[in-house]
Amino acid sequence: MVTLSTEILVIGGGATGAGVAWDAALRGFDVVLVDRRDLAEGTSGRFHGLLHSGGRYAVKDPRAAVECIGENRILRRVAADCIEDTGGLFVTTPFDDPAYADRFAKGCADTDVDCEEISVAEALASEPRLNPEISRAFRVPDGNIDVWKTVWAMAHGTQQRGGRILPYHAVVAVHREGDEVSGARVRDARTGEELDVRARVTVNATGAWAGQIAEQAGIEGVRVLPGRGIMIAMNHRLVNTCVNRCQMPTDGDIIVPIRTVSVIGTTDQHTDDPDDHTVNQAEVDAMLDDGEKLVPGFRKARALRVWTGVRPLFEDAKAGDTDTRDVTRAHALLDHAERDGVGRFFTITGGKLTTFRLMAEETMDAVCQQLGETRPCRTATEPLPGSESGENYVLGERLARKEASLIDEQMICECELVPRSRLEEAITRTSSTNLDDIRRQLRLGMGPCQGGFCIYRATGILHGHDGMSAEQADRSLTEFLQERWKGVWPVLYGDQLRQVRLDDWIFQGVLDVEHLPT
Amino acid sequence: MRRSELHFDAVVIGAGTAGLVAATRLAQDGARVCVLAKGVGSTHLAPATIDVLGYAPERVDAPGAALEELVAARPDHPYALIGAGIVSDALSWFAQIVPAGPLPGYVYGGSLEHNQLLPTAVGVLRPSALVPETMANGEVSGLKRVCVVGTRSLRDFHPSLCAGNLELAGIEARAVSVDLKLERADMNALGLARHFDDEKWRRQFCAELSLALRAEEHVGLPAMLGLRDPHEVLADVEHRLGRRVFEIPTVPPSVPGMRLYEILRAALRGAGGRLVLGGEVVSSERDGDRIVSVSTNAAGRDLTYVAPWFVLASGGFASGAIELDSRWVTRERVLGLPLRGVPAEGEPRFVATYLDEQPLARVGVAVDGDLRAEGADNVVVAGASLPGAIPWREGSGEGIALASGYRAAQVIGAQVKPTAATV
Repeated sequence: MVTLSTEILVIGGGATGAGVAWDAALRGFDVVLVDRRDLAEGTSGRFHGLLHSGGRYAVKDPRAAVECIGENRILRRVAADCIEDTGGLFVTTPFDDPAYADRFAKGCADTDVDCEEISVAEALASEPRLNPEISRAFRVPDGNIDVWKTVWAMAHGTQQRGGRILPYHAVVAVHREGDEVSGARVRDARTGEELDVRARVTVNATGAWAGQIAEQAGIEGVRVLPGRGIMIAMNHRLVNTCVNRCQMPTDGDIIVPIRTVSVIGTTDQHTDDPDDHTVNQAEVDAMLDDGEKLVPGFRKARALRVWTGVRPLFEDAKAGDTDTRDVTRAHALLDHAERDGVGRFFTITGGKLTTFRLMAEETMDAVCQQLGETRPCRTATEPLPGSESGENYVLGERLARKEASLIDEQMICECELVPRSRLEEAITRTSSTNLDDIRRQLRLGMGPCQGGFCIYRATGILHGHDGMSAEQADRSLTEFLQERWKGVWPVLYGDQLRQVRLDDWIFQGVLDVEHLPT
Repeated sequence: MRRSELHFDAVVIGAGTAGLVAATRLAQDGARVCVLAKGVGSTHLAPATIDVLGYAPERVDAPGAALEELVAARPDHPYALIGAGIVSDALSWFAQIVPAGPLPGYVYGGSLEHNQLLPTAVGVLRPSALVPETMANGEVSGLKRVCVVGTRSLRDFHPSLCAGNLELAGIEARAVSVDLKLERADMNALGLARHFDDEKWRRQFCAELSLALRAEEHVGLPAMLGLRDPHEVLADVEHRLGRRVFEIPTVPPSVPGMRLYEILRAALRGAGGRLVLGGEVVSSERDGDRIVSVSTNAAGRDLTYVAPWFVLASGGFASGAIELDSRWVTRERVLGLPLRGVPAEGEPRFVATYLDEQPLARVGVAVDGDLRAEGADNVVVAGASLPGAIPWREGSGEGIALASGYRAAQVIGAQVKPTAATV
């Protein structure tokens, strides 16, 4: 068996884990990051894409609001290329308690969240599809963040500093040496080969799965209650600003415009299994009704897909036994030496996407402290690879690139404007045969046709690459078709059903993929 | 009488295969017929082979015999309502109108005795009853060594994937990519077909390709052998390459489908029928159990079409003629007719595995044994509007369209009394 030796082993390749790896690499540590699947395939990749201004928490959870606005300002600089500065609106609809608006304004003032009340007329002029019955409107600095771009930028930055990023490596055992954790054994999901990673410190950044990993280290009582929420992507930007209902946080209270779609979210249902992705009909119906409250006519737009994410909600079974000085209500950092007498092992869980960098900073500060090292955090000032210019992403970016090479470039995915060269580059870079992995990096197949035209094209190009076998290509094609279907069918109605029927004719009629030899 | 009222013996709604066949048959019988359609039908999306029954659910070798079994086993299937004999008559009729059409020499071959197995763009051998001559050489029994030819300019066809899967099916296959030196990186099959109509361009293409070919190889090309004269293009390309050549259907736009549309349209015009594209039916008028008229607002002008008979061939969910809305209500949108096959409230509409049978798939307009719509005695239903089939899985789409269009005209034809149209 191959053994890797490193200083920091990070388990979990979501935003937090990748953030810890990036933070550690910038402090000059040698890092190995493992994830059982692809990077940002869990909770990080399954949210609505909101970069919080903090407004959502200004009344209910002021500390979280302070953290969010702080991180919002930092990420706009260091992850500029991953963020679109859409701005945000909090609007009081006829369905909201009108008294909340004043509490909201005061909460924002108290937590330093930039907030400006504007007239209803101005709000409606900037977002003409908004419910014309709104009575108050506030501008806040919400934005959207492309989490896959962010996580991969941190992964690449880590690799450039010598770190090793190992997606599809699931932990099969956490190594204990006496009262210390010394690394983990991981299995390559694609080859079945096992690998030992020896590390000075192991960081468990597995979010809703943190209890499972802690148990593998022989630590009990790390209770993370997965809170499952659904999100629905609509086929275009119904709004161009993140639109929030001005009320206490509730289901379906926000529409986030991101890339070519807008996403409505979300719900919160406790589940026992973080891998539970059930979508209930009643949740879908309620979400569409919520959409109508913000944007009348919402149900007439095309719903592209629905997905679920699980928030990690930490409840320490040992609460009181541990020093929670560094633990905010928003996220939880557990030093298992202090908490359980198990050294060289930390768990970071809870929190929200917007604060991933802060969570990583606090984690590595604690790691440094335990190692007796003084290495300051640099993630608040060092831009991610690709974000050096400090310029935010703008919606027309891909279109501008396309126009620059109008006749020289083949377009593989018209919905998301993915040219052939970008696809070929991603296939080479990821050396993945999984089109879903490539989708997360390029947004291939994420537009209105949900892969109707690009799946065949991408499979053909994938097959032409490095002598991949026809069997493998067939599998990639049918797996991606199934993967797309997974999120389509629970919200399938209206014009999207027409689209799907066309796709049925293409794949089952013209191509007859059901009878592929493999 | 209002000036905006037009009178016909029959009005056909939908310009896909079913609608055009029904209208042509009616016109051939002397009826004054008008086809109203929002746009062209599914011909432009489909491979244009006439698939009668490809899978039931195992692959069907003899569609005629399998049809008899299907009719007996599934009385709710469109074929059971139409009858196997009519399917055969419809195919014979179709095989005759093709050579009489606007594409000189272009013919369809095949029969209900045996399905022909032709490679799809991913190299699956797909069963069809009748196929255009441009595809016939791809039939598997005559296919020993094949060179699948593509070009990088056509993103909708990847020869190596096709060849790879043909190899897995036991056919000696390899792939070649030809550099067409076009001015732009992208061209679809339609654009390339227009090039193939040009003899000079063909000559260059063949000169380039022949360098890459080996002895005794058949050549499989994406379906792009011209729009105007595919018979001549095929003969010319075969002559220049000195070997058998065949077309492989691509994802839309479908060049052979456009040829099929031109053939059907010419047949309709030749028989004296009218075709109004952009003539979406926006309302209808009823008198009890009869539809009296339908109205369009094409070209900004409201027109009302009055007829004793209507054929509804407007398609299913794919065309939008049948709709499932966001409150999960299913409806027929053109004439508001009752549907059949809709899963009961609380039952699943779809299932989680994409390639499994989807419960909503068999929805269509409820009809009687003469294809007449429930609750509308003078409306005959044809094509994908009919319930009970899953044509894209069964490989039965064109067969049902052709036979039900043919049958719809029979049902009406027996009763139509020709009248003079008044404008």
